[in-house]
Amino acid sequence: MSQPLRVLIAEDEALILMQLEFLVEDAGHQVVGTAATSDEAIRVARETRPDLVFVDLQLRGGSSGIDIVRTLRDEPATVLVFVTANAQHIAQDFEGAAGVIAKPFTEAVIFDTMSYLEECVRRPPPRLSVPLGLRLAPAYQAALSGGRNLE
Amino acid sequence: MEQDDAWHLTGDLMVEDGKGDPFAAAIRATRMPMIVTDPRRDDNPIVFVNDAFLRLTGYARDEIMGRNCRFLQGPDTDPNAIQQIREAVRARRDIAVDILNYRRDGSPFWNALYMSPVITRAGDLHYFFASQLDVSDRVDAQLRTQNEKEHFEREVAKRTRELSEALAAKTMLVHEVDHRVKNNLQMVASLLTMQTRSISDPSARDAMKSMLTRVEALGTVHKRLYQSHDVERFDVAEFARELATDLVRGSGRTGIALHFDLEPVEVPVEKAPPVALMMNELITNSLKHAFPDNRSGRLSITVQPDGRYFGIRIVDDGVGMPQEVVGSRSFGKRLIESLARQLNASIAWQPGHPGTSIDIRLPRESSPREAAGAKDST
Repeated sequence: MSQPLRVLIAEDEALILMQLEFLVEDAGHQVVGTAATSDEAIRVARETRPDLVFVDLQLRGGSSGIDIVRTLRDEPATVLVFVTANAQHIAQDFEGAAGVIAKPFTEAVIFDTMSYLEECVRRPPPRLSVPLGLRLAPAYQAALSGGRNLE
Repeated sequence: MEQDDAWHLTGDLMVEDGKGDPFAAAIRATRMPMIVTDPRRDDNPIVFVNDAFLRLTGYARDEIMGRNCRFLQGPDTDPNAIQQIREAVRARRDIAVDILNYRRDGSPFWNALYMSPVITRAGDLHYFFASQLDVSDRVDAQLRTQNEKEHFEREVAKRTRELSEALAAKTMLVHEVDHRVKNNLQMVASLLTMQTRSISDPSARDAMKSMLTRVEALGTVHKRLYQSHDVERFDVAEFARELATDLVRGSGRTGIALHFDLEPVEVPVEKAPPVALMMNELITNSLKHAFPDNRSGRLSITVQPDGRYFGIRIVDDGVGMPQEVVGSRSFGKRLIESLARQLNASIAWQPGHPGTSIDIRLPRESSPREAAGAKDST
């Protein structure tokens, strides 16, 4: 395995946050920060420069994960993935995020997503197929296959 | 000129009985209210009025002879109608207009006024002739109809607005409940995940893991329910693909090839959880018992419609189900049996060559009892 992915998790439900932390670590990656509001997530992201951010849509204090994605979408080194029970309400262009995982997710989906995104980030293009529980944004998919064409 | 003279006589001379003047007699006696005015005199005064007009308006003849007709107007008379009459007089043309007039006692009536100029052959304007008709009933009916129409339109608009608001509130509520159900299922899974990590006893750990897959199967049902186009129906085939993929991945087994033969089968939504849990138990069983010692193999899942029934077939090419599993009274086995009873499903376990083949046949639609139960619970 290559260098572990550095992951930031924006999730306001403490239990779900803990589960995601465990699963990310069980998959051999590193949680570099957690946040319960969008402001906090943006601040921690600026400090820690994560490879991957898991973004819940409805965060504490009425703040929205969409603001995190809109703010961080132009960071080339950061992959943004929504993890939400509102997956059907994500805009067509995913607001610039790479993909969305619908809640409730299974442990297997998180493991598969971590393996897949590790390849996307560390060894593009990925050889694994896209996990069933991860829906990729058309733009991210195009960028991945664009990378494949260059090789 | 003869006609002109006749008017002249009736008007100016106040001939009472109209002897030798058939026109005047007819006009005096008709039930149609009529007047004649003389625009050549100052302010176009009335020069003739018949009895019908006096009966309609309640005035005496000497009260109105010599006066301009505008005494018929009152507070609610439409200024536009008055303007139209003035212009017709000025332009010397005839006019028909409905105008609100007032009787002597102040009571209003709708007057279907017809007025036309009497012009000599030489082109001189001598008189205006006007007939009146009380059309209050007709106009009132029209106004009533109009009012009722507007009233109904207002009511319809109001009701439509209320319904749209109710629908929006319902949609928001469904969305909110959906969101909560999914988050809560995720939290139950989180609790199981975390508790499992703290358990060192392998069999207790396995039991917790089995429980987690059951909760995850229910979670996947819920997730798929609101992704589909129809929240009342549930596609068993696509669910089977997601469930089996997840279970194989979750088992950590890498040597097991999944094969699918899926045709869409939609069932009522109340069947989704028991169908999901039953499939979860059967596939989990296969993964647990068919391929011991990390043996590789193939697991194939078939979902097929069969008239009013549909079939789910789970076939592995493993070592075959041990007799103690088939005949056991394990929790998993009891779960399968009671779910099958709920679904009116038949399950056949057959030894494959090699492996095991499980055939489930179950009705696609709910029995009235199930449907009623589902309705009660909503």
